[in-house]
Amino acid sequence: MNRNCNGVGRRDFLQAGLATLGGLSLTEMLRFRAEAATGTATDTRCIFIWLDGGPSHYETFDPKLDAPDGIRGDFKTIPTCVPGVRFSEHVPKLAKNFDKFTVIRSIAHNQNNHGAGNHYLTTGRPTPVPVGCGAFVTFHPSLGSVVASERGLSNGMPSYFNLGSMTRSGGPSFLGASHAPFVISDNPSQPSFRVRDVSIPKSLDPERAGSRRRLREELDRLTRIQESVAEDPAVALDSFYEQAHRLVYSTEAQAAFDLSKEPDPVRDAYGRTDLGQRLLLARRLTEAGVPFVSVHYGGWDHHGEIFPKLKNDFLPKTDQAVSALINDLHQRGSLKNTLVVLLGEFGRTPKINPGGGRDHWSFAMSVLMAGAGIPGGQIVGATDVKGYYANENVYRPEDFAASIYTKMGIDHAQILHDTANRPIQLIDRGQLIKELFA
Amino acid sequence: MRSSAWRVSVLLCLPLCGWAGETASGPAPLSFRNDILPILSGNGCNAGSCHAKQGGQNGFQLTIFGFDPAADYREITRNARGRRIFPAAPEQSLLLLKATKQIDHEGGERIKPGSHDFKVLSDWIRLGAPLEIPGEPTLQSISAKPERGSYRKGQRQPIEVTAHFSDGSKRVVTEYCEFQSPLQSFVKVSEEGLMQVGNTPGDGVIIVRYLDRVAVSRVAVPPDRTLPKSAYASLPVRNEIDRLSWKRFGELGILPSKPCSDAEFLRRASLDATGHLPTPERARAFLLDPAKDKRERLIDELLADPNWADHWATKWRDITVGNTQRIGVKPVYLLDHWIRRKFRDNTPYDQFVRELLTAQGNSHRDGPVALWRDQRDPEMMSAYVSRIFLGVRLDCAKCHHHPSEKWGQDDYYQMAAFFNCMKSKGQGISAPISGEPEDWWFEPGGKTLHPVTGVLMKPKPPGGTELAIPEGADPRTVLVDWITRADNPYFSRAVVNRVWGEFFGRGIVHPVDDFRDSNPSVNDELLTWLGQDFVQHGFDLKHVMRRILNSALYQTSSLPNETNLADNTNFSRSPRRRLTAEVMLDAVCDVTGVRDSFDGLPLESRAVRTWNNKLPSVFLDTFGRPDSSADCPCERMLSPTMTQALHLLNSEALVSKLAQSDSLPGKLAAGPMPTPALIEEIYLRTFSRFPTPEEQSIAAKIFPASGDRRKATEDLTWALLNSAEFVFNH
Repeated sequence: MNRNCNGVGRRDFLQAGLATLGGLSLTEMLRFRAEAATGTATDTRCIFIWLDGGPSHYETFDPKLDAPDGIRGDFKTIPTCVPGVRFSEHVPKLAKNFDKFTVIRSIAHNQNNHGAGNHYLTTGRPTPVPVGCGAFVTFHPSLGSVVASERGLSNGMPSYFNLGSMTRSGGPSFLGASHAPFVISDNPSQPSFRVRDVSIPKSLDPERAGSRRRLREELDRLTRIQESVAEDPAVALDSFYEQAHRLVYSTEAQAAFDLSKEPDPVRDAYGRTDLGQRLLLARRLTEAGVPFVSVHYGGWDHHGEIFPKLKNDFLPKTDQAVSALINDLHQRGSLKNTLVVLLGEFGRTPKINPGGGRDHWSFAMSVLMAGAGIPGGQIVGATDVKGYYANENVYRPEDFAASIYTKMGIDHAQILHDTANRPIQLIDRGQLIKELFA
Repeated sequence: MRSSAWRVSVLLCLPLCGWAGETASGPAPLSFRNDILPILSGNGCNAGSCHAKQGGQNGFQLTIFGFDPAADYREITRNARGRRIFPAAPEQSLLLLKATKQIDHEGGERIKPGSHDFKVLSDWIRLGAPLEIPGEPTLQSISAKPERGSYRKGQRQPIEVTAHFSDGSKRVVTEYCEFQSPLQSFVKVSEEGLMQVGNTPGDGVIIVRYLDRVAVSRVAVPPDRTLPKSAYASLPVRNEIDRLSWKRFGELGILPSKPCSDAEFLRRASLDATGHLPTPERARAFLLDPAKDKRERLIDELLADPNWADHWATKWRDITVGNTQRIGVKPVYLLDHWIRRKFRDNTPYDQFVRELLTAQGNSHRDGPVALWRDQRDPEMMSAYVSRIFLGVRLDCAKCHHHPSEKWGQDDYYQMAAFFNCMKSKGQGISAPISGEPEDWWFEPGGKTLHPVTGVLMKPKPPGGTELAIPEGADPRTVLVDWITRADNPYFSRAVVNRVWGEFFGRGIVHPVDDFRDSNPSVNDELLTWLGQDFVQHGFDLKHVMRRILNSALYQTSSLPNETNLADNTNFSRSPRRRLTAEVMLDAVCDVTGVRDSFDGLPLESRAVRTWNNKLPSVFLDTFGRPDSSADCPCERMLSPTMTQALHLLNSEALVSKLAQSDSLPGKLAAGPMPTPALIEEIYLRTFSRFPTPEEQSIAAKIFPASGDRRKATEDLTWALLNSAEFVFNH
């Protein structure tokens, strides 16, 4: 059986000639081509910055000065470089650089706990069964794992990195462990930082590493069964060792891993923080060809004392690092093929709770998106005057995920098969966020 | 869209034309159930990727494979304000305009205007679109012809499918069926049911589905040449495993590989049975032992080794123990602890399953209760118990008939009915740390209803008969009595197959928990014998392992001969398997003499003692633990990857293990052992064999004539740890 919803068997394709192309109708093909002209391409990379816990939309990109006390919050607003648009006073650098990114104020969903919200926004699908706040679940492959499986090795490097820690639902699910993220948990703002495992260990001089390698080649004598019908895993092992060696001895790849190659002013611009240096490393990796780098920044679950925490720690760090990243990419000419995304699993409640915090609120959230042809200075959608609900151009997480896949040249409507060979659409009824493709 | 080949087959088939036949007054009556659903199904409208996916497609939702005809009928004739059919001008019905792509249809043109299907659909609408015709026969079963066949390599054969109805009537329905081949390299099948046999001998099936009924056509491909009986007569027969395997190999025209060496056997059996590399002392003693029965004696020693329990408990915790972040740390710890104790006591397997499946108590006190906290409703338990203990995957049948097997929703919910008398009290799940304790107990009075028909479900295990539950009895006890009966064909075969899979890298039925007619075993007689032997020997897992380890089949070389190069499924040569994450880490620690440390475990603990799969370990993550976050946490990645190669090659952890002052290479280098003996020691420790003279001389070259041997010792150890001979059990 070779039929699926969009499509059709191979023979049908030949018969149908120009009418269909690999499962796309002609109109869809034209649409995809048009999208290619606006930054959709198979060489687009993505830096996915995950603010785990759920950042407040009020205190960042969707302030509500006209809301009553108890909702409005402590912060003032400031103008951005786009007349009429105001952000929170604690993201001044982003406000100044708003001409380079879009803010979507109207993504909304109904998964109001961390486990489910993480799953929805990092895979584009809600969990098939209810899960709780503590859940770390991957029922569906994450954005990064899908990109890794579509793109394969990139310049000899793994295709999917997680910097910081693995996002809760960042796994490959049924795509298999070879599409799991390569996790770098060490803090790159530490002077001793090195990316683990990708280069010759520091304590080993290169000459000795070379002689070890030669010795290994001489002594690795298990007879290989070269005929492919025999499916000898030792033959597969050899090819992975070869790939690993190529990576270790590739000057280009090694340079990408080496943050010390960055001039001090650049490192300072991002901020000498874990987030800042992770974003800088993400830029280096994507420029070297890695298609998907997810940067994890946790702790945004501000149920108490939200204002001092944001003001003194979370917002300044984010403001500096993210604006530096966007600026840097812009100046280097890389922004046109690098998608930058900043979000968490949901927004936060309108009413400030007795502990001076805001709770989970999935009915409105703000998402920053830049690069890959996304217009600058654009606000998409809106929430109501008090910030309760997204009420203009409302988009779902499916639309968000479909838009990312489309930007990366991946068909979001394709049918995948899980381990039981059950067909599952990559994204269920995703509609592109059209403002990102203007 | 259907291809031209399909069109031809339609023309050749008898047209489908209603039950009463043509009458003088007009077209014969048509029914939704018997005439329309097959068309929708045959054209893929209700495929899982189209209108039958969750939420349907573009607002039009059908049930998958038409398992709920009433709902589909409602959707087509009533929902969306009845706009899908238009009896006054049937050809203008939205249903037909879409299917023929006269108006935009994402699924393309599925039905050609004017075709037979088109005509039947429009006639049916014209006739008032009836759900059924009073007194019409109902579909009972389908059969595929040929039911079984023996074919030449490359041969083509069309399959014809007949539907059988309650009044004894039959219809040929081939063109409305879906055909699947589970193993494309063995035999392919076209959409129209034309099979084409590949180039390898063996057995397989084509699976046929018509609506929610399934049949198989068995395909046997004999080898081009079989070997004379005498070729098998000289093979060793240590037990029934060998006799039944050689018999099967005779049918396949293959011979087993030659016996493995003592060193290969020692390493293989030690790793498989206990997860440990043999110590150099044990290796030396075994290799130099001239006794004929030394392999048997080693097997007995390995099965009596205290490490056996932890190694095998790990395999059962993979399939039993939940996610700490779902059910809490303490329940996970307690269940892990319970499983290890049961394996240390070598509890008979029937007893183990009984205690697990009839557990009651407190999640923070009684280990097995964690399973109930995890699989917390009767439906989850239905799928879990069927799969893990009976080898039957019922999951699909929760929502619809299994697409390639006989199991339907009745089977799923009747199994669930054994678990509907469980009550719980407590906070529930979603426990970031340990959560609150939860009590689980049996209390009579539960009910399970069929989700579509609403009928009360009586407890019945899949493949069994309805079981009477005595007044006030726990239905779970009745189920376990049935499961552990000596003549239960599912239970014993499922577990021996699982154990077999651990020794051979794949099951006699593969995947090990997916028994069905459409997924045949590679040696049924062998599987049945193993199961019976297991039951006759008191459900003793060690007994099965002793049988396997002693067989000549297990003791073959991994190198092929000219007859079995392409055999990767019949066990005619020893499969090479990458060491599992915990076994590999423990082996690295044994060879370097430096242990890792794990959160929540005593210092110097072995990786095999890790009690939950979320304990931080880059090594274990790299080599793959079951992902307790995933949908089915029981899968382990066993293939090599580039990140594994990078980790063994470059990790600072391995370098520092070697370089640490009290590491084994350090001690050896500083010790009095002459260099050749030192090299031999490292080989024995890592590969469980003596080095060859050539290897001795290669290794000796890196050792300085005098002075510090430390570097050379480290380098040699590193080189061997990065060799295929270490990474694989071969």
